[in-house]
Amino acid sequence: MQIEDDEILQGFIEESLEHLADIETDLLAIEKAGANIDENLVNKVFRAAHSIKGGAGFMGLTVIQELSHAMENILGMIRSKKLVPNPEIVNVLLQGSDKLEYMINNIQTSNEEDITEHLIPLNAIAEANSAQVVLPPPPQPAPEPVAPAPVTTPDEPSLMVQDTPTPVQQEAPAPVVPQPEPVTLSPPPPTPLIPVTSSPMETSSAPSMKADTSLRVHVSLLDSLMTLAGELVLSRNQLLQTISTNDLRNAEAVGQRIDLITSELQEAIMLTRMQPIGNVFSKFPRVVRDLSKQLNKTIDLTIVGNEVELDKTIIESINDPLTHLIRNSVDHGVEMPAERKRLGKSEKGLIILKAYHEAGQVVIQISDDGKGLDGEALAASAINKGLISAEQAQIMSDKERINLIFLPGFSMAKKVTDVSGRGVGMDVVKTNLDKLGGQVEIASEVGKGTTISIKLPLTLAIIPCQIITTSNERYAIPQVNLEELLRIPANQVKNRIEKVGNAEVVRLRGNLLPLIRLSDVIEAERSYWDPAEDEQKADRRDSIADRRGKHSPLFKKAEDSAADEHNLDSDNRVSSDRRYSSTSALNIVVVSTNSMKYGLIVDRLQDSEEIVIKPLGRHLQQCKGYAGATIMGDGRIALILDVTNLARMAHLTSIDGTDRANEVALAAEELIRTQKDRQALLIFRSSEHEQFAVPLNQVERIEKIKRSEIEVMGGKRVMQYRGGSLALFTVDDISKVQPIVDHDNLLVIVFNLCSKPIGLLAIGPIDAVEISSEIDGLTLKQPGIMGSIIIDGKTTMLIDIFEIVQTLFPDWFAEKPVFEAVKITGITPTILIAEDSNFFRNQVKGYMTESGYNVLEGADGAIAWDLLQKHADEISMVVTDIEMPNMNGFELTEIIRKNPIYNKIPIIALTTLAAEEDIAKGKAVGIDEYHIKLDKEKLMTCVHDYIKRLH
Amino acid sequence: MNESKATSKMHVELATFFVGEALCGMDILNIQEINKLMDMTKVPQAPSYVIGILNLRGQIVTIIDLGRKLGLGSTEATASSRNIIVNSPGEHVGLLVTQLSDVVTAQMDKIERSPANMGGIQGEFFSGVYKTEDKLIGILDINKVLRIEEQGH
Repeated sequence: MQIEDDEILQGFIEESLEHLADIETDLLAIEKAGANIDENLVNKVFRAAHSIKGGAGFMGLTVIQELSHAMENILGMIRSKKLVPNPEIVNVLLQGSDKLEYMINNIQTSNEEDITEHLIPLNAIAEANSAQVVLPPPPQPAPEPVAPAPVTTPDEPSLMVQDTPTPVQQEAPAPVVPQPEPVTLSPPPPTPLIPVTSSPMETSSAPSMKADTSLRVHVSLLDSLMTLAGELVLSRNQLLQTISTNDLRNAEAVGQRIDLITSELQEAIMLTRMQPIGNVFSKFPRVVRDLSKQLNKTIDLTIVGNEVELDKTIIESINDPLTHLIRNSVDHGVEMPAERKRLGKSEKGLIILKAYHEAGQVVIQISDDGKGLDGEALAASAINKGLISAEQAQIMSDKERINLIFLPGFSMAKKVTDVSGRGVGMDVVKTNLDKLGGQVEIASEVGKGTTISIKLPLTLAIIPCQIITTSNERYAIPQVNLEELLRIPANQVKNRIEKVGNAEVVRLRGNLLPLIRLSDVIEAERSYWDPAEDEQKADRRDSIADRRGKHSPLFKKAEDSAADEHNLDSDNRVSSDRRYSSTSALNIVVVSTNSMKYGLIVDRLQDSEEIVIKPLGRHLQQCKGYAGATIMGDGRIALILDVTNLARMAHLTSIDGTDRANEVALAAEELIRTQKDRQALLIFRSSEHEQFAVPLNQVERIEKIKRSEIEVMGGKRVMQYRGGSLALFTVDDISKVQPIVDHDNLLVIVFNLCSKPIGLLAIGPIDAVEISSEIDGLTLKQPGIMGSIIIDGKTTMLIDIFEIVQTLFPDWFAEKPVFEAVKITGITPTILIAEDSNFFRNQVKGYMTESGYNVLEGADGAIAWDLLQKHADEISMVVTDIEMPNMNGFELTEIIRKNPIYNKIPIIALTTLAAEEDIAKGKAVGIDEYHIKLDKEKLMTCVHDYIKRLH
Repeated sequence: MNESKATSKMHVELATFFVGEALCGMDILNIQEINKLMDMTKVPQAPSYVIGILNLRGQIVTIIDLGRKLGLGSTEATASSRNIIVNSPGEHVGLLVTQLSDVVTAQMDKIERSPANMGGIQGEFFSGVYKTEDKLIGILDINKVLRIEEQGH
């Protein structure tokens, strides 16, 4: 068709779309109100349909006119209270408005659209209604008054005739409407299924295209922009004047003024890009309504934080991921009403969509009270899909399992998602959010519901970056990619940087981190920064670990030799102290991209700054290493590095989903293996050649003293300590080790036992280490020494501080209620110990038997569980390790707690490094107390307490 | 108005400048400004004819060494060298030239095709030559100069 006047047409389109945007929410409100009609609201919708009809008629858009006319008819009936809006009617109206929107967005082809599928139900409603209200006595003439208005499809009269008589037979007016409805509506249902599912995509993509061209800005904001612009002009005039009169004093003031105005102006302009998130949220009531209806669920959607503002670009791109997540919640999260009733939940599901500010970011939260995500089911389907192996799944935490749904490929097979419940294209959601610099987190509890939190930056235009220097140029690395900054001092470079083939790697907390030289990747000249002379110098070493000066004949390259000879003298001077000068320290920026982590070697690290991204010109598009450029404070430009592409350019093999999962699992496994018997120890010496260690957590503090401070009183060594006397002892008091050396400077390691402080005399060097090697409880065992362990290639004896104190000060323990419980009941209580390490098991067993308890021991959770079942009557307490093969402490606790016979048994968990997270998890599964391994005193007090309580 | 339009069809004002030893010219209407900002940021891995990027009042401008682009050898940044900032679709691009010369008003019908022996790299960038009394000006086809070559460098 032809449209004569573009401008008028454009006006019509914009106006109509505005009307339609409101219609949707208004219709939903009308539906909610039901018979309780809000006239203003209905009027508003009526007027909207009416003006679209009018406009369309004027423009010659007959199809739009026809559809809006049919809708207006129904709305008119609702307005005059001839018709009670029910979900079916509103549904038809909503679909009509969708169609209108679609046609208006494709205005040129609108007249060719087929709208019969909308007209039939619309007219059917109108006819049924007019028949029933206006014409109770004569049934036949019913179609006549209606017929002139909608000149529609005569090929469907049978349907219409069929429903006109029905109202007559049934006299009651109210229930009449729903009854004929199913008849008239039966043809459309297959179609709504398609529009309902696809409409969110359509409506989302269409307006987002439009939003690019025009934007609504509040007039007050525009006014303030004008004011600022005016001020800027004034300041410019002042500046020009100052320059012409050469008035330096004034120049400073003017400069400040311009500075102020500029930043205010920048802020105000940024504000114009900010849009309330309500623009996106507003369409979700419809999505939830339609989808829940289609699935026969009843779901309430609560929206909080409509007013939270985000950058326009983010608002536009957040739409699809959010729609996806909401649909997931409706579809897979909330259960069917019957199921909910059975579970004792209210039949109506609840989805809460919330936006709020937190720590300079915007958080969008979608929570439902549905069935939650079952980590195990997810893991099982991931195994089925071959994404992870069974072993990997076993060692994953629940959180990791839930996060499996983000793995690409997880959602590909329908069968899998049916089992797991969720995960339809969640990887796509994640990728989309990653692009925006956002993060997704899932928290879920089976049976209680799921909460998905999305964290988004306020704006994309300004990003925080780390500034670095290489080859005399500054570069910016987005903070999103930044993991940590690493500086390897000159004297450690040789030990920590290793070469695997051609690749250089650094050992970072036990893992190998591939290293890339930024200057090599971007093919800039290698250089280093010399702090002494405060300048950048060329660097010609081949290997990082090589600290020889460049004059070395081995590393002299042909093209360098001339220059080298020339500089030989000065080089000799420098190279002598280079080995330990800070010049050789390496600055490494550890960055991460989607799938990998690597270290980027740079010359210097500088500040982190908020920068404004600017695109690079066409001629530089082929340089893949840069994400753009930015203008620094001094007016020069710095390039922004694209960390992902740099890795590609350096031919770092990217790790795909499966490999990455593998790697994560391996790392986790490694962690568990090492953590199994991980001990934090304090190393010290008493004589030059024997090294001792005590568990660090038993140590209160360490004091440096002079030998002269030690007093010998009544055959015992004491010193003054915090206003009292501190009893002192040495290891050789009890154990057959070499006596303490006769140093003037000594150390006192203070312990607290039986709520009394006691000091162990020692000498340095002292150090705190975390070790995971096996403790040998036999070879060097003797009084006061519980075993030995190899630390850094040195055999170290582990001190048994309790035994020493008990031997030295037996009366300290005299008042301990060792046998009280036994005395009361006459039975010796039995304690079940589950611990996989022989050493620790023997230690704990020792504590227990010493106090008079019977002990049963299991080398892992499964064995312990068997023992518990066999000796159910005897066992009055379980003491368990957490990390064990076959069945870990958490699992053991869980099955004990599930069984009604044992669920009253106190469970004490022993751990080497108690992390808050673990403690919380332990409490959740039903562990009563947490204790640190080898803290005998606290453990036994606790054991006594529980035993006493039992009897 | 009409008159000036008519004359501009007859005449074209050429800004002339030296690229190395060669005198070149381009339609003055293509030029946004000429400056002597030399504080450029190098872009490693950029095509060899790009010498860097420049901050021009908040805009990032790619600077092209016209000498290298035309295959006339690289241009040295001296006191007389200038950046000619030209409009390119969606951005500004700077052309570094050795030295500026006069603005010459050329008659359209006096502009001749490039001589046949001016082939090779140079030939493709020139749309014609204009002969004044004492010198010969090669007229640059700015669109060809700014076109991105797929092969790069």
